[in-house]
Amino acid sequence: MTNKIKRGVAIYSYSGEYGRSMNLEDCFKDMYDMGATGIEILANSHIDSYPELSDDYLAEWNRLCQKYNIEPAEYGHWIDTRLYKDRDMSLEEAREKLINDFKIANKLGFKILRTKMGVINGELAPVENWREIIKSVLPEAEKYDVIMCPEIHLTTVLADQFVQDYVDFIEETGTKNFGLNIDLSVFQNRFDVPGVVVFNPDSKHSLPEEIIPLLPYVKCIHAKFNKMDDDFNELTIPYPEVLKILKEHGWEGYLLSEYEGEKKDVPGFVSQELRKHHVMMKRILGH
Amino acid sequence: MLELQVIQYRGFHNIVEDGEVVGFQVCVRSDYYRGVWLSQLRPGKLIVDGVTYAKEQVIWEINGKDYTVDELAQASNDFWCITDVATLKVMQKGGLAQGFHDVSVRFAASCSYMPPFLDIFDENGDENSFNGGTYTREKMIIV
Repeated sequence: MTNKIKRGVAIYSYSGEYGRSMNLEDCFKDMYDMGATGIEILANSHIDSYPELSDDYLAEWNRLCQKYNIEPAEYGHWIDTRLYKDRDMSLEEAREKLINDFKIANKLGFKILRTKMGVINGELAPVENWREIIKSVLPEAEKYDVIMCPEIHLTTVLADQFVQDYVDFIEETGTKNFGLNIDLSVFQNRFDVPGVVVFNPDSKHSLPEEIIPLLPYVKCIHAKFNKMDDDFNELTIPYPEVLKILKEHGWEGYLLSEYEGEKKDVPGFVSQELRKHHVMMKRILGH
Repeated sequence: MLELQVIQYRGFHNIVEDGEVVGFQVCVRSDYYRGVWLSQLRPGKLIVDGVTYAKEQVIWEINGKDYTVDELAQASNDFWCITDVATLKVMQKGGLAQGFHDVSVRFAASCSYMPPFLDIFDENGDENSFNGGTYTREKMIIV
């Protein structure tokens, strides 16, 4: 069977340098060096005409994707429920902003969206009316051919009830426009590595095999990493086990590197860490 | 491109209208990794050489448009991109004197996808929040 797991980069990784010592093209150049073929951008960070999509940006986007052989893999956007200091965002306001993002994503060529919802507690449970918000835009998501994916990220773990709630929602509605993005932080099982600071007071985490029943709904994976050693191993997340499971189950999609360690604002540092991360993934995946 | 520090050397000068110095301005970049809707901003105090200016005394210019803090709080469709600076303007006859100045700017932005307690931000306080704090740059020069 052909292996359909692909390597990409979430350019959130460059956030310590973006706009200061790196521009958008620098991110593409760096990715090309690694043989990454997919990109995740954050709408609210990397589109300099946001919340509009200017003709200039669109032209530059197409030029960069073609020149560096990179395809749009995932479009990060937000439902900023605490938009105002004194009240929550209304359903109609959420709809407006979501549909605007669908249109931009569609024009830029993205089909998978990482949709970040507002949360209400320390376990990162989504706002109570998330079903209502998502349901209200499913027709537009279908029209613009996009799949909204909440990101499952520490301190959430795969066993949390609201992960199951998302799965139930997909099954009950039968929608093809809602899925999951799993961030590999959920498998982090080492918390004692110097230089790694992660907010997870109880050290809770998921076991690699817990991802198996979720795989039909997983549209994209954030290949979170905190610390690479010079032998190209990640020191906090069991990458070989997780990637082996993805391969064995024939999962198709992008592993998007997302660096969340220290020294992000030291010029060149993240570029080196991303290269190490891609050496590791290339070795494990075999391509 | 932007400077690494939140408070930028570029853009720091007195404001001159009809040949008169009517105030001063200082530019800041966002310390966050994504842009925000203006109503997400939580403006705080501005301090120059130990003199505190309340947030109501500061006009924020973003995308070429001036906002009072009350106007910012309602501007939920206007956006501050992370590659753009915000210009903070204080109207004060005579502006700042020639020479060195120590500048502190305090602000934050709401972040709905983090636990609500992380969003708590005291505009006149000194502690940091998840997405904000007090930024200081010393020996800024007015020419």
